[in-house]
Amino acid sequence: MSIAGDLIRGHTDAIILARLMQADSYGYEINKIISTLSAGRFELKEATLYTAFKRLEEAGCIASYWGDSGAGARRRYYTITPAGREASHRLLGEWRETKQIMDKLLETEE
Amino acid sequence: MREQLSKYVELLFAGTTDTDEIRQEILQNSLDKFDDLVAQGKTPEAAYRLTISGIGDINEILGQPSAAPTPSPSAKVPQPKQTELSDNNRKLLRASAIALYILSAIPTVLSDGNTAGVCLTVLLVAIATAIMVYIGKSNPETAAADSGSEFSTPEAEQTETTASSPKTPEPRSKKTARGIIWGIGTGLYICLSVITGAWYITWLIFPMLACVQGIVSAIFDLKEACKK
Repeated sequence: MSIAGDLIRGHTDAIILARLMQADSYGYEINKIISTLSAGRFELKEATLYTAFKRLEEAGCIASYWGDSGAGARRRYYTITPAGREASHRLLGEWRETKQIMDKLLETEE
Repeated sequence: MREQLSKYVELLFAGTTDTDEIRQEILQNSLDKFDDLVAQGKTPEAAYRLTISGIGDINEILGQPSAAPTPSPSAKVPQPKQTELSDNNRKLLRASAIALYILSAIPTVLSDGNTAGVCLTVLLVAIATAIMVYIGKSNPETAAADSGSEFSTPEAEQTETTASSPKTPEPRSKKTARGIIWGIGTGLYICLSVITGAWYITWLIFPMLACVQGIVSAIFDLKEACKK
């Protein structure tokens, strides 16, 4: 991965919360969306994803439930809690501010 | 290939307790990914490889019974604290393990290689190794949570549980070092034994190798600890 994967990975929680703001989802689907949205340039390791799920669940930002799909596949779905929505808004605001600052800091006049 | 994938995930979690749910979750998502890749036209072999490599370091999950402090700078989610072994305690334990490794040679040397002395040496090595394993196990993985720890393998090596940060591929070099140590050691054992015919004593090379390996791995750990 040539792009700054570490930089993005630092925002794993915010990314997951933002995805769950759209709809309940499960691990692979979330990772697939991340991969699609980044045009295949970024993808989380499953282990990183589950660690983040666990962390967010313990922090009360998300909740999980087991759902059954047709072909006998049992998937663990995640849903965002009110606290999670709040955290997501806050993280998005923080990110916008960070982005603004970084743009200013890295810009050079040429 | 799907069965192989199931087996692989089973193996990842072999010997762990209380991981049924995570295992099921990872297995289902891995199968989903595999099916998806095959549907996209990948060969089953390629899909299997991609799926496996996408799982990452399972120790990231297993190493944190509750939740370790997150290293991600922007994740402002409140974290439950986890302190199993303070840094100082760990350093102390590691130091005593190294001391044991070094001292373990004394009984054998003093007793001129008789059985009692050798037994004592092996015992000391065993205790030192147990301490090292304990340190590895209770490491809170301070850096692993969000780092892409693509570097360690899922095998249940407790020494590998030590945190790995994205820019320090220690576990791999540690592994290489271990491979070299045991490779050379085994070669040495066979050569020496054949040449001298002293099979009754040459096996001592192996406890010595354990010492060397322990020291090397301690050096790696210390190096890593210093970086933090």
